[in-house]
Amino acid sequence: MSTGNPIVTENLTKHFGRGHKRIEAVKALNLVLLPGQVYGFLGPNGAGKTTTIRLLLGLLHPTSGHAYVYGKDVQRHPEVLRRVGAIVEGASFYNFLTARRNLEVFARTANRYDPARIDALLEQVGLAERANQRVKGYSTGMKQRLGLAAALLSDPDLLIFDEPTNGLDPSGMHEIREFIRRLATEQGKTIFLSSHLLSEVEQICDRVAIIQRGAIVREGAVGDLLDAKTTLRVEASPLDAARAALGDRWHVTTNTTWLSVEATRDEIPAIVRRLVQHNVDVYQVTSQRQSLEEYFLSVVEAETPHA
Amino acid sequence: MLNLFRAEWNKIAGHRWLTSCLIWIFPVGAVAFTLVMALILSLSESARLAFRSDTVQWTEQLVGTWGFLNNPLGRLLLIGFTAVMFAGEYQWQTWKSIIPRNRRVPLILNKFVTLGVFVVVAFALMSVLLTLGMGLLRAIADAPYPPELSASVIRTTVSDYTRSAVLGFISTLIAAGYAALAAMLTRSILGGVLVAYAVTFAENLSAVGLILIAYFLDLPGILQLYRFTPGYNLLNLDAWIRTGAGNPIVLDYGANRVELADSFGFSAVVIAAWVIGLIGLTTALFRRQDITS
Repeated sequence: MSTGNPIVTENLTKHFGRGHKRIEAVKALNLVLLPGQVYGFLGPNGAGKTTTIRLLLGLLHPTSGHAYVYGKDVQRHPEVLRRVGAIVEGASFYNFLTARRNLEVFARTANRYDPARIDALLEQVGLAERANQRVKGYSTGMKQRLGLAAALLSDPDLLIFDEPTNGLDPSGMHEIREFIRRLATEQGKTIFLSSHLLSEVEQICDRVAIIQRGAIVREGAVGDLLDAKTTLRVEASPLDAARAALGDRWHVTTNTTWLSVEATRDEIPAIVRRLVQHNVDVYQVTSQRQSLEEYFLSVVEAETPHA
Repeated sequence: MLNLFRAEWNKIAGHRWLTSCLIWIFPVGAVAFTLVMALILSLSESARLAFRSDTVQWTEQLVGTWGFLNNPLGRLLLIGFTAVMFAGEYQWQTWKSIIPRNRRVPLILNKFVTLGVFVVVAFALMSVLLTLGMGLLRAIADAPYPPELSASVIRTTVSDYTRSAVLGFISTLIAAGYAALAAMLTRSILGGVLVAYAVTFAENLSAVGLILIAYFLDLPGILQLYRFTPGYNLLNLDAWIRTGAGNPIVLDYGANRVELADSFGFSAVVIAAWVIGLIGLTTALFRRQDITS
């Protein structure tokens, strides 16, 4: 199957090494990214995020399966990657060249050299004044901004960012996040974003996938994933009796003065009824939607095999 | 294709330390040599006398410069230059920014083309500068610098120059092929240089090696393998072009004797196979290679 969607993977698999040293970095990965989406790709270190991105960019050859970009297999039709801009594991440059010369080299390599566009991009990422300085003297933040300019050189439809805020201070992260957000909202770019910064992903992305040990363990719209599992804060007395009343049906954690109950908002009446039936006084029940970070950590913990 | 070439040229030329030390050193060295010699000749009568006794012709000077490509130092510098061109992208971690922008085959073939242009430009400049410099030195020493310019001298020189340049270039291309392949396999500049230099060195010693193997295994037929080495065939081609006859070589040990005397066509095919084989192998390897850094 291959559609015209920005990214489709079919049972994408990548192994490294052989025999007992074989590592299954990506296992039968199936992904679909629709046009205009901002897609978050999450996972702990070593989960297979960067390997997947390298497979999408034709840097790695799959052991089996396919990666399609705009309906074309990237291995057979690498020219389709001209519709893609990317930063993989931080931006890398020829440090002995100036920023402008680096962009010229990249643009000429893609056979799309346009000095005016290079000037405009340098201006856009705030590097116009230091464009003729060698990249060797650039800070990490400046290199990341130059990386964004390099990714945008051929005015791509799809942007793939792998840890674009790596090594940046909070203000640098904010700057890059705002830039990416503008690319999506103002220019309608499709974005595939891998990041450890879950609060940023939550703010930017429409949809996320969580990958662990090479396989996708959760995938869906951010709102759906987070709404599916709400935490209720229940203030009641006595707490022990409340816990006993609810513990057989819901997952309950006791805090000093309240209970944390994993349940949906729709279940609040049933919880209150049950507490009252067990002669527990209920003072307050509030629902708290968990953050993406909490959700991510709970998924990773649940999917981690315990000895 | 022109854009791709300019991208590679700008990239490598922008690495001033690399190009100064490994490629522009040839023409710059020619100028430096001339200046130092001019200073010595200006100050020393005995040096001028010694210089006068030497019979140098500008035609030999012009043509002979290309022979420096086969000099061990010249070869080492060019292998180093090639290794940086091919392994540098791994070291700088820039393949990941380059590969999504174009197909792998043109990317790697373009490196060979750019390397060739760098070598031709550097050596053509070096030969001209050395020839002019020698003229200056001969003038300082008040020594003749024959032959006189004439149509036949120019014809012969152009022919000799072309032959020397083409053969020198092919020889460089083969060494560069070793370096490129080694750089791709080791993904390291130093690894590329060491492996390529070792292979070049081994190739130069291949006659001795084959004789030893033939002697210890008592297999005289193995000496026939020498006819497939680049070194033998380049010398054979050179002899065919210069004299109209080949450059027969005799390899022997004890009572066993093998004479190699191959045609121009045979040597041309073997050399073409080496050049195409090395470039093809490098390209095929790069096409299948996983870029993990």
